[in-house]
Amino acid sequence: MSGVNSPAPETAASRGLACCHVCLKLSPSTAHSCGLCGASLHTRLPDSRQRTIALTITAALLYIPANVLPIMSTVQLGNATDSTIIGGILLLIHHGSYPVAAVIFVASVIIPIAKLFALTWLSWSISGTHGVAHRQRTRLYRATELIGKWSMTDVFVVAVLVALIQLGGLLIITPGPAALAFGAMVIVTMLAAESFDPRLIWDQEERQHG
Amino acid sequence: MIEIGELKSGQRARCPRCNRLLTSHNDEATSRALAFAFAAALLLVMANSFPFLELQASGLEKTMTIPRAGAELYRDGHAVLAGMVLVPIAVLPAVILATMITLLVPLRRRARSSWLVPTGRLLFALNPWCMVEVFIIGVLVSLVKIGAMATIVIGISFWAYIGFVLCFIAAVGSLDRFQIWREIEACQA
Repeated sequence: MSGVNSPAPETAASRGLACCHVCLKLSPSTAHSCGLCGASLHTRLPDSRQRTIALTITAALLYIPANVLPIMSTVQLGNATDSTIIGGILLLIHHGSYPVAAVIFVASVIIPIAKLFALTWLSWSISGTHGVAHRQRTRLYRATELIGKWSMTDVFVVAVLVALIQLGGLLIITPGPAALAFGAMVIVTMLAAESFDPRLIWDQEERQHG
Repeated sequence: MIEIGELKSGQRARCPRCNRLLTSHNDEATSRALAFAFAAALLLVMANSFPFLELQASGLEKTMTIPRAGAELYRDGHAVLAGMVLVPIAVLPAVILATMITLLVPLRRRARSSWLVPTGRLLFALNPWCMVEVFIIGVLVSLVKIGAMATIVIGISFWAYIGFVLCFIAAVGSLDRFQIWREIEACQA
């Protein structure tokens, strides 16, 4: 593994070439579209930082109704009980289902919050000229990209419960507005991660080396 | 910028900067992806045709199939939620499998065809939005949640879906974006 302090390798950008985001073919960066696949060509994803920040803020806002509003409602013999994400986790703990409570806690609380912080920090950290820990930040980005969809677990749980528990007047489960807000939040954070260009982290190193 | 050049089967190329795997060349990759894609397609059809789970409580019964679960959500006015669930677990995987087969069959024969580029673009754009393995975890959590209050009978579709997820992951995992595009490039030339 080469050290982080070794001289910066020659990049395609420094030779006036751009790598296509879709098919990974190198073309002169003066071209407007890729000669192979026809995708529009950019040295870096356009407005990467602004888009990531905007989508991260949107996701953070969606996370509020996702936690405050009920994710599902149980109607048992005419009595409706609403439950939120946190309420559902507490109920599982109360029943002693610790592993399942842990799965939901990680998927619905830890992962979304960690993703929001990671994206905020990554977007903030690429602003200055003196970046640190390029390799670690790149790894953090890859992790953010990888874990994103696992947050969807709770939405799928609600869908299965709603589909299955339809016992006439005896017991019915209906989805709550938080399911929608939470699902939307997961999709928006995935879009935010997709619009972030990790090469911006390494551009700082080049600026440092002059 | 690095020169990857011609890789032999089994060779890998990593980024000298961040150490990310750039490509892992395998001569058999296309055939393997195609084989798993056909198996996954068959299992996905099975998973959508038979009961997924069945609930029995107080003499009442309720059977769930994947398409019916979506249809009921839609009927009860939860159209967006129905889409949010059905699209990443069934619709997108079906589109991806169809795309994969349309792309890989001519690519394997090195045949020049006008749809290689559009199918290639579609395939890699849709890939990140599939959540089939996440759905399995969701189902397992649901089973634990319901298990306390009712009897659950696991249907054929449940096992078919698990088989589908394994084949689907194997098919998608055999695809190397760099290698596929270089093969498309060779066919277009």
